[in-house]
Amino acid sequence: MDSSNLTSVIKHWVELYSDSMYSWAFYKTSNKEVSEDLVQDTFMVAVQTFDTFKRKSDPKTWLFAILNHKIYDHYRKNFRSPILIENASLQNLFDSNGSWTPEEKPQLWGDDTEHLLDDTEFQKTLKLCIGRLPENWSMAIHFKYLDERNSEQICQELGIATTNLWQILHRAKLQLRKCLELNWFKK
Amino acid sequence: MHTLMLSCRKASELIDKKSMVKLSFKENIQLHLHTSMCAGCKAYQKQSKVLDHLLQKHLRSNDPLGVPQVINNDLKNEIISKL
Repeated sequence: MDSSNLTSVIKHWVELYSDSMYSWAFYKTSNKEVSEDLVQDTFMVAVQTFDTFKRKSDPKTWLFAILNHKIYDHYRKNFRSPILIENASLQNLFDSNGSWTPEEKPQLWGDDTEHLLDDTEFQKTLKLCIGRLPENWSMAIHFKYLDERNSEQICQELGIATTNLWQILHRAKLQLRKCLELNWFKK
Repeated sequence: MHTLMLSCRKASELIDKKSMVKLSFKENIQLHLHTSMCAGCKAYQKQSKVLDHLLQKHLRSNDPLGVPQVINNDLKNEIISKL
């Protein structure tokens, strides 16, 4: 394919998909500039690696695969090795013996947790709670759950010890649980 | 305190540790003993699994149309101008 043809194909894709790609990147990163850069980079990669794109596959799928890779890379680059500080909101979870304090003791959430994500209001609450985590905790969460990578791979890429990673995730989950309980289950 | 008896603080740590790495034999026994007697940690164990599931589905969900759509024409024009 000559370059003018290539340009017109990519241009067409920009028209078709850049909004949904931007929306997706924004949803994942909550940052306008970062999302714009990620989408731009994605199209630059698409131009450079167009030969590897098989005509039979769906361009949208291909572009989103590149974009998701870029999003992951963004998290990896921006992860600063976290210092474990006791988060103020976690201080009152346990008493001096390490037992749950009466008001913080986890209560069962009920059995219908399977369909929670079908509820857009719940999705909003979950996103809100993730957004309230300290930045590095939230990044660790994204790393852990964003794709199929296992713990060792994540630790290697982030340059932290496995112990450090699960301790961060543990604290993040304690805080998420509390936030969901306050803003959803007890409402 | 007996060496096999965990505090809730420690038990909740092991619950989340377990979802990432294999626990030692001793840790498994300790955790099992603790959760069999402690309703709070038993509930947390369930919640920890629910959280794993929710986060995985929420963050890995690959349905870009399921997220709020934002029109960004400036971005569109900028990319096209650079092609």
